[in-house]
Amino acid sequence: METMIETKGLTKRYGQRLSVSRLELSVPTGCVYGFLGPNGAGKSTTMKMILGLVKPTEGRVKVLGAEMNSRNRLAILKNTGSLIESPAYYGHLSGKENLQIICTLKNIPEKEIGHVLAVVRLENQQHKKVSHYSLGMKQRLGLACALLGRPKLLLLDEPTNGLDPAGIQEIRELIISLPEQYGMTVLVSSHLLGEIDQMADQVGIIDQGKLIFQDRLEALHEHSRKKIYIRTMNQGLAEQILSEKGIVYETSEEGLLLPEMPDSRIAGCVSRLVSGGVGVIRVEERQKNLEEIFLGLTGNRSSL
Amino acid sequence: MGELALLRCVRAEKIKIRHSMVWLFFLIVPVLPAIMGTGNYMMNREVLQSEWYSLWTQHTLFYSNFFYGPLIGIYCSYLWRLEHLNYNWNHCMTAPVPVECIFLPKLVQVFKMTFLTQLWTWFLYFLCGKYAGLPGLPPINMLFWLIRGACGGMAAASLQLVLSMKIRSFALPVGIGLAGSIGGLLLSNGGFGLFWPYSLMMLGMNANKYDDVLSSQLVQFALSCAVFVSLFSYMGIRMLKRQDVKAA
Repeated sequence: METMIETKGLTKRYGQRLSVSRLELSVPTGCVYGFLGPNGAGKSTTMKMILGLVKPTEGRVKVLGAEMNSRNRLAILKNTGSLIESPAYYGHLSGKENLQIICTLKNIPEKEIGHVLAVVRLENQQHKKVSHYSLGMKQRLGLACALLGRPKLLLLDEPTNGLDPAGIQEIRELIISLPEQYGMTVLVSSHLLGEIDQMADQVGIIDQGKLIFQDRLEALHEHSRKKIYIRTMNQGLAEQILSEKGIVYETSEEGLLLPEMPDSRIAGCVSRLVSGGVGVIRVEERQKNLEEIFLGLTGNRSSL
Repeated sequence: MGELALLRCVRAEKIKIRHSMVWLFFLIVPVLPAIMGTGNYMMNREVLQSEWYSLWTQHTLFYSNFFYGPLIGIYCSYLWRLEHLNYNWNHCMTAPVPVECIFLPKLVQVFKMTFLTQLWTWFLYFLCGKYAGLPGLPPINMLFWLIRGACGGMAAASLQLVLSMKIRSFALPVGIGLAGSIGGLLLSNGGFGLFWPYSLMMLGMNANKYDDVLSSQLVQFALSCAVFVSLFSYMGIRMLKRQDVKAA
C-alpha cells in the first residue's frame, strides 16, 4: 500500500516544552487514519506541521511522496483540504461567499459550491451570515471548505466538535464514505476513542507528543484479547499450584489472570486447584475495553 | 502561474471586504479635516488670501498631519483583522498560493482604498470651497498633488500593513500611525521628509504649503516611495514565510 503521509523524526519544541517528539507517522493511501490522543497531546501541532503551517524543530514530513518544503508546498496544498483547530470563516460574509473565497484561492469552478453544500447539508443556510451560524453549522461549513476541489488528502482536526449527536453520526458516515466515493485519504484526529473506533481503519495514538501505537484498528482490538479470571479462597496456594502445573498467570487485585486457553485446560486447572484444597469462588472470561487498552499503553498517565 | 495566483488572490480580497464596516471609516474620517480646515480658513480669511490655494493649506494641514496616517492604519488593521479572527490564518496559509500572494493583494487593496480616499478628499475640498464661496474650480495642480500624496501614502500603507499583520490589536497600529504622522510633521519641517515613510504623504500633498516643495525633488520622492514600499513588502513576506502560523 502506498503511503500518503510519512513523517520521520518529526519534532516540535516550544521553548523548553517538547510538543511533538520524534514522531514516525505513516498514513497509507485510501484509508481513514484515526489520530487519537488526549487534549494537548500534540495532534494539532502535528497536523499543522504536515500542512507547513508550523515549521518542525527537527525531522521531516512527506506528503504524496514529496517533502513538505517551500518548493513542494504549493503542489502538496493543491491536493489537500484541511480543517485545523476550529473552523475558519469570515463572519460578516454568507456561507456561500466564504466558499467563493476558497474556490477563488483554489482556482476551482464555483459550481462545486452547490455540491459541497449539499454534502454537508447547508444549502438552506448558504445566504445567511456565518456569524449567525451555530457552532455545528460552522463546523459543517469548515468541512465544506475542506472538501472543495475534491482533494486527495483531507486533514480534519476534531471535526465533530460542537455537533449534536445526529450531526456527529452524519459527519462520521460522511468521513467513512470519502475514501470509497472520492478516493480520498482522511487523517482525522479525536480525543474520543469510541469515535475513532467507529471511523478509522488505521489508528495512531499520541500521548505527550510521542506516538505510542500505530497499526490497523484490528491490531488495537487484538490488545483486548480475552483472559480468564480466577478468584480463590487462598491466592498464595493457588499461585503455587498453577506454577507447578507450568501455567503462566498474572496476579490482579483480587485474583489471577490466565491467558485464553481451551475449556478442557481450564477445567483441568480448576480441578487441580480444588483437589489441592483451594476453594474456587469465581471463574470468568474477561476482556479489556479500548479505554483500558489506552490506559495500558499510556501507563495510566492520561485518560481519554 | 504566479501572476494568475496573484490576480485570484486580489479577487478573493475583494470578496472579503464586501458588506464591511471599513467603508464607514472611509466616508466619515476625511470629513473631519475638511470641516476643521474650512473652519480655520473661513475664520482667518484676512490673512489667507490665495483662495483655493489657501483653503488647500488649511485642509491638508489637518488631513495629512493628523488623519491620513491613522486612516491608513485603520484600513490595514481591518484587512488583517479579517485573518486574525476566527482561525482564518489557517485558511490563508493552507491556500495553494505562493506566500507573496497573501501579502501583496492586501497591499493592492489598501492602495486602492488610499487612492479612493484621495479622490473623496478632493471632492470634499471642492464642496468646502464652494461653501466658502470660492470662484470656479480648484486649480489642476491639486489633482496632481493628490495623486502624489497617494504615492506617498503607499509607503506609509506598506509599513502599516506589516505592523497590523504582526500586531493582533486593532488600535495599536492605528496609534503608531498617528505617532508616525506627527513625527513626520517634525521630520519634514527639519528637511528629512524623504527618509520617513509618514512624511512622504505630506510632501506629496504639498500640505500646508503654497509653493511646490517637491518641484526639484520629484525623482528622489518617487525613489523614496518605491524603496519604502519594496522594503516593507519584502519584510512582510519574509515574516510570513519564516514564522509559524498562530491562528488564535
